[in-house]
Amino acid sequence: MEQPFHGARVVEVGDGVAVAAASGQFSDFGARVVKVERPAGGEVRRLAPFAGDRPHVDGGGMHLALDTGKRSLALDVRTPSGREVLTRLAGGADLLLVELPPDECERVLDAARRARPAPGTVALTPHGLSGPYRDRLEADMSIFAWTNRMARQRPPEGPPLRYAPHTAAMQVGFTAAAAAAAALWDRERGGERRDIEIAAVEAHSGNVDTNFTAWSLNQGIAPLSAIRSVRVFPVGTYPCRDGFVQFTAAEPPFFQRSCAAIGRPGWPEDPRFRDPAIRPDYHDDYMEVFLPWLAERTKQEVFHEMQGHGVLCTPVLSVEEAVAEPVAVARRSFVTVEQPGVGEMLLAGAPFRLGGIEGDAFRALPAPRLGEHNAEILDELGYSRDEQIALFRAGVTG
Amino acid sequence: MTTRALAGVRAVELSEVWAGPFGGCLLGDLGADVIKVESYPRTPPTRPVQVPDWRVSPGDGPPYERSWAQHQANRNKRNVALDIRSPRGAEVMRRLLGTVDVVIDTFSAGTMERLGLGWEALHRLNPRLTAISLPGWGVEGPYRGYVSFGVGFDCVSGHSFVRGHPWRREEDTPGSTHSDATVPLSIVFATVAALRLRGRTGEGSFVDLSQVEQLASQLPWVYAEWALNRREPPRIGDGDPHVVPHGCYQTAGEDSWVVLIAEDDRQWAGLADAAGHPEWAEDAHPWASVPGRVREREAVEGAVAAFARLHPRDEIVESVQSRGAIAAPVADPQDHLLSPQLAAREWLETVDHPFTGPRMQPGFLWRVEPDPPSWDRPCGLVGEHNREVLAEIGYGAGEIDRLTAEGVIGTSYGDFPPREE
Repeated sequence: MEQPFHGARVVEVGDGVAVAAASGQFSDFGARVVKVERPAGGEVRRLAPFAGDRPHVDGGGMHLALDTGKRSLALDVRTPSGREVLTRLAGGADLLLVELPPDECERVLDAARRARPAPGTVALTPHGLSGPYRDRLEADMSIFAWTNRMARQRPPEGPPLRYAPHTAAMQVGFTAAAAAAAALWDRERGGERRDIEIAAVEAHSGNVDTNFTAWSLNQGIAPLSAIRSVRVFPVGTYPCRDGFVQFTAAEPPFFQRSCAAIGRPGWPEDPRFRDPAIRPDYHDDYMEVFLPWLAERTKQEVFHEMQGHGVLCTPVLSVEEAVAEPVAVARRSFVTVEQPGVGEMLLAGAPFRLGGIEGDAFRALPAPRLGEHNAEILDELGYSRDEQIALFRAGVTG
Repeated sequence: MTTRALAGVRAVELSEVWAGPFGGCLLGDLGADVIKVESYPRTPPTRPVQVPDWRVSPGDGPPYERSWAQHQANRNKRNVALDIRSPRGAEVMRRLLGTVDVVIDTFSAGTMERLGLGWEALHRLNPRLTAISLPGWGVEGPYRGYVSFGVGFDCVSGHSFVRGHPWRREEDTPGSTHSDATVPLSIVFATVAALRLRGRTGEGSFVDLSQVEQLASQLPWVYAEWALNRREPPRIGDGDPHVVPHGCYQTAGEDSWVVLIAEDDRQWAGLADAAGHPEWAEDAHPWASVPGRVREREAVEGAVAAFARLHPRDEIVESVQSRGAIAAPVADPQDHLLSPQLAAREWLETVDHPFTGPRMQPGFLWRVEPDPPSWDRPCGLVGEHNREVLAEIGYGAGEIDRLTAEGVIGTSYGDFPPREE
């Protein structure tokens, strides 16, 4: 299948996970992406894990997952020389995405807007390009803390929990890609050039899983995420024979179906369980049957039996198990890329299947070595060999 | 008027709860004309008909118009309440789908086919239409018909297995509905991808969007350790194997927490100074170097925790940030209301609604120049745009009255009387 972003030219500038994820979406769906990165290699290339635990700018797991199919230009955009190159590069681009500290970001945006024609731009920063927190340093977890999700993640002991590392940055990147794609498409049909700004805190705090709306509409009461609820059940994570299973089955029709699944089809009419208002008083009666039923079964058995009754239930899978799930294998949810210097790299595949699962709109290609395409790109931009050597000697390229 | 990037694009959204509906919001924020067709007369799960219900905002009128879970995911779209399972309702649906560019559904796999709205039928009906279908495990594959919910995707992706504190089992990790936040982003991207492709081929596309696969695309760190070293990733809680300190610490006061991180020596010097111990960052000190802090992780984390416990949260954040290290409050909604940053950027929105009155709502995910997003339509009332939308697709006033009388379309649920129009 023809790739939907074939023909689109995208430039990524910066060091972070978010911008790499954003332009990675365009790259995997057919755009031609140039990754402009620090000559020493930026953050994405320095993040663990590494093959054999040996750190290397071309071997990091985050880089290999997010820089698929891009061309790499190692260029110091903090210098006027670097920004001159950037202006030329921007002149041939439809879209330029930047993730740098606000001052550097603005200089790069100015350089891009000097290009004729100028590309649409997307600026990614923690708090935005204005306001009193503009220049604050943040990390993936501190962004997450700001978004009110961490405050809801309260395990039985210990501090509030984040999600997995880089999850906040990934979401920011996908947010940027969504807005950028719409702006790109409109420009191509004759619409105006747009400048988009993504503040990580706002991109998260405005998303649907915010607690703010609940709090605001509900007189200042905001719910925590459930672990195991006594008030409404079965909701949460329960032990079974070989691990854990998760239920969201307190509401009709799921509660009724769960009763049928554990061999108590009459319970929905039982006075103890009929009225949700008094049901919490009989939590233990339910668990007396439910927990032994789970204990006799593996998580896969619980999952498929419960789903056979239409109950919202899933197993809690390890990574090894998630990758080997029959549905993941049948749908080829994970793909492999033959990565020079690393070998076969397993990656999560397409976030959506354009053309169905037989369609081939998504294509993960190997990630570039740092600066692999310097000469190729500088040639395309019309820099002479002497100019290229001069840039290299001055440390602007690397 | 909101951003015009997708002006002229028409979408129908047949979806409930959050992932699909918020995808509809984002298309609406970008200028698309989004028509939410909601289940009728069966009540959608985010529209409770009984009070009291913890999901319902105080006020008068039907409770299903005051549910925060509904308000959270339904701005910037129009609302049609239609019984698509009835023959006359199915005809309305088909006529509507003949006029739009995109249809989004979150039914279990197989339901669209049973409604006569499978991809082949849709493509015959309107060759330019793109259909985005997002069952939990995708449209095709062995788990067709399985029921699903965001918390479950987190469990089958491996995410909930690894994201707990190192000393706890996965049993005690709170649920997460992360996919509800990320799937809508891919709905927008997929929509634009299909529109761009249609510009070349003249035809719409079928998009099989598995929410499990979309969530997997958000978790490269979770899979990379397995991919590179065939090991399960470590359960690291709030820590980082290679950054010390990196944690969430209790501050003075009750249940108040701060995130503190020093990624390099410069940031560590700032944090040490804020803690009143600049000597921690002097060359002779065992914690002055990155390897030194990794070696003495427990001691470093303990010292940072002791510092945090003595001071109010916001004071710590100011003091550490002003010295160039990373500090953030574990914020709750009230912190957003009080944030000078969000205030300076006028991020929060005051949105009026007929049944809740004016309320503060979160702002948009992005800023756009020259045409910023705006909250043009608050959460739609049940069937608020029945007449308007049906008139657009050729129904006369008499026909619309008859469809209403027959219960094919409606403006209320349960025993509540129809809203006066």
